[in-house]
Amino acid sequence: MNTASGCWHCGEPLPAGEVVQVTIDGATHPVCCHGCRAAAEWIEQLGLADYYRLRSQPAVRPADPAEAARSRAAWTRPEMARHVVREFGEGSREAIMLIEGVRCSACVWLIERALGALSGVSSVQVNASARRARVVWRKSECSLAQVLETLARTGYRALPLDAAALDDARKRESRAALKGLIVAGFGAMQAMMYASGLYLGAFDGVDTSTRDLLRWFGLLVATPVVFYAARPFFAGAVRSLRARALGMDVPVALAIALIYAASLIEALRGGAEVYFDSVSMFVFFLLVGRYLEMRARHRAGDLSDALARLTPVYAERVGADGALERVGVSELRTGDRVHVGEGSGVPADGALLSARCRVDEALLSGESAPVTKCCGDTLVAGSIVVEGPAQMQVEHVGADTALAGIVALVTRAAAARPRLAQAGERAAAGFVARVLMLAVLTAIGWSLIDPARAFTATLAVLVVSCPCAFALAVPAALTRAIAVLARRGVLVVRPDAIEHLAGITHVVFDKTGTLTDPGLTLDRVEVLRADERENALTLAAALARGSRHPVARALAAAATGRSMQVSDLRAVAGDGLEGVVYGRRLRLGRVDFALGGASLQAGLDDAVVLADDKGVIAAFHLCERLRSGARAAIAALVADGLTLEIASGDAASRVADVAQRLGITQWRARLRPADKLDRLATLRSAGARVMAVGDGINDAPVLAGADVAVALAAGTELAQASSDIVLAGERLDLLAEARGIARETLTILRQNQRWALGYNLLAMPFAALGFVPPWLAAIGMSASSLFVVLNALRIGRQGERSRAAGLVGSKAVA
Amino acid sequence: MTILIVMIPLSILLLIGAGVAFFWAVDNDQFDDMETPGLLPLLDNPQPSDLAPSATPEQAP
Repeated sequence: MNTASGCWHCGEPLPAGEVVQVTIDGATHPVCCHGCRAAAEWIEQLGLADYYRLRSQPAVRPADPAEAARSRAAWTRPEMARHVVREFGEGSREAIMLIEGVRCSACVWLIERALGALSGVSSVQVNASARRARVVWRKSECSLAQVLETLARTGYRALPLDAAALDDARKRESRAALKGLIVAGFGAMQAMMYASGLYLGAFDGVDTSTRDLLRWFGLLVATPVVFYAARPFFAGAVRSLRARALGMDVPVALAIALIYAASLIEALRGGAEVYFDSVSMFVFFLLVGRYLEMRARHRAGDLSDALARLTPVYAERVGADGALERVGVSELRTGDRVHVGEGSGVPADGALLSARCRVDEALLSGESAPVTKCCGDTLVAGSIVVEGPAQMQVEHVGADTALAGIVALVTRAAAARPRLAQAGERAAAGFVARVLMLAVLTAIGWSLIDPARAFTATLAVLVVSCPCAFALAVPAALTRAIAVLARRGVLVVRPDAIEHLAGITHVVFDKTGTLTDPGLTLDRVEVLRADERENALTLAAALARGSRHPVARALAAAATGRSMQVSDLRAVAGDGLEGVVYGRRLRLGRVDFALGGASLQAGLDDAVVLADDKGVIAAFHLCERLRSGARAAIAALVADGLTLEIASGDAASRVADVAQRLGITQWRARLRPADKLDRLATLRSAGARVMAVGDGINDAPVLAGADVAVALAAGTELAQASSDIVLAGERLDLLAEARGIARETLTILRQNQRWALGYNLLAMPFAALGFVPPWLAAIGMSASSLFVVLNALRIGRQGERSRAAGLVGSKAVA
Repeated sequence: MTILIVMIPLSILLLIGAGVAFFWAVDNDQFDDMETPGLLPLLDNPQPSDLAPSATPEQAP
């Protein structure tokens, strides 16, 4: 933890001047504000100070205590609590809440302990990956407001979820998948055991009664595998047949049903071979692939959570008499007057009534700096008032807001995304149709020639040509690729993205938050008075430490010297800071403010200026900080022959600056989400396959509409929910590597398909002519599937080897 | 080989037992979060003084 320079609790830089201290375990630590001190002291009081030792990331800065208290009071209103609290047995109630700020296991521990210590709370379950907590309390001793207050004091913002969300669909899906997987796993294990007895018996001689016994037990363990674990395949097949398509599930379901039915018939009539082991293994392998895919999808989050987090749940309505009243956002009507405090979210779209305020619209427009709004300007729901407070008149609520519009755009773009009909799927479906035809022909042919052999030969055709190799060719390669990529920190949410990734020609980047960090950095200092050369930055930083403005933070972070005492510090909203250092009155901010109105120097419009009564001391030029690895990533993608482009909602000068620094020639600025989507459509109609990389809410429509969408793990939920691939660790340089692996996967996939086809073309005529005994068919089938799986395991090997070679090489150079 | 008639049903009974136990575990939240619970015992400080400072006297470290 960066405790030397930052707050002990939340890790933010410490303000200059009065330093707030907190004493934990006998040691004194500096904290940035009273909110953090309250949180830290309270955590210690509960005997939970271990949290600081165990956590892996600093905590979230607690909200302003007064503001938090007001928001909690809103939940005591029965209209609001009704939606989220559910009766739970005798005198108990339960609620599920989404908890923001859960970052590691220490958080889970802290929440469970803190809530558990509350009297009346009977059960607390926190799920870190879903960021959800389920709390049950006794009505007589506790209340929702108390639970929320406890969480807020610990530093977590909790959002009670709608009662409808209590039955979590994702949880149900994941549990069903796990159960299916374990049934298939156990079944495959046992069936294999009995089958090995049968195989050995076939060579050493086994009496018929023992053989039949083993077969019946094989049937016993394979039946739940087929009828329980393989249900998703049958359901999928039925679904795609209803939609009049031959999806991947159709051949799979057909293969499972055929092998199982054939084995059953063979077992009943005492025939030559049964394949209960094959069918169980087949189902198990396929389910493993599906399970991995589902895990990746769940980790990427879903749309409804993302929305719940964006819009504030309550608003402060201004009554006729001017008094403030907390109401739920759903109760707001057009024409209401609403008060928005500093640091809170705007609840609905509307016009500003107060003179001026500054809002952060970064999430919506991509603009990196907060925007100053004057009376009459439009405020957008979901943006945050950074300098306020503001009063506004509500104009649009609910589904009419700009935010809801963006979400609708996302949904529409995702639905309209051109899904490449998967080549593998089509091939497999066509193949199945042909095999069935051949099987029918064989049956007819043999029943004319020698009816006794008709069944064996037909079965041989079906088994030897078993679509297993075909059905496994694609999933085996994709499953392996997903695992390889996940190990590198690239989370594939939709497996078909791998196929698309290999074929992209264009990459469209968002700027803010994707290519650049959210923060600013000091580019250069222009000192205009020679005698102040040493001091200029230190003086500016001394003033800047008192503010949370991003510009001030960048200046404070750039200064390395000792801090100076500032007195009489004053922040002028929208302009800058003023204070007295060593008896000198200094101003820091926009040039006209720093010079007290008259701007004499030209060329300082964009700079932050430090001045005293005698004039300008220095000008600080700030620029956006490039994300680490962005330059390397861009170079690698260009070397790969891709066309790169920046599409940003930010101002043209800032976009041009970043583009120039990264060596990207094409860029577009001031784009709204719909413009970005248009740009994408233009590119695609020109034949380009586009990958979009973004992180913000304003990127979500573009992500949903691109061929391949990549979101950063640190980005917003909405972006992640509408993406195909999530980059963990925000490492852009993984993009080129991921593309390499995708290409390799596609090569292997094609090899697998060719192999399966070749094998089948070779074996089928013999089977149809009756030359292949069922046991040989079974071996052939297993071997062809095994080949496909082993071939898939080669994916990612090459990358590891070249990476190891690269390491050795770089060492040799060093 | 008659022993098989006893051994195999026995193994199947065990299998069913394991399956039932697993289903129970899935239904009782045992697989919902695979990371946190493993860390929780490490975090638990077995000092009763932490949670009830007045009830037990402070112990020397």
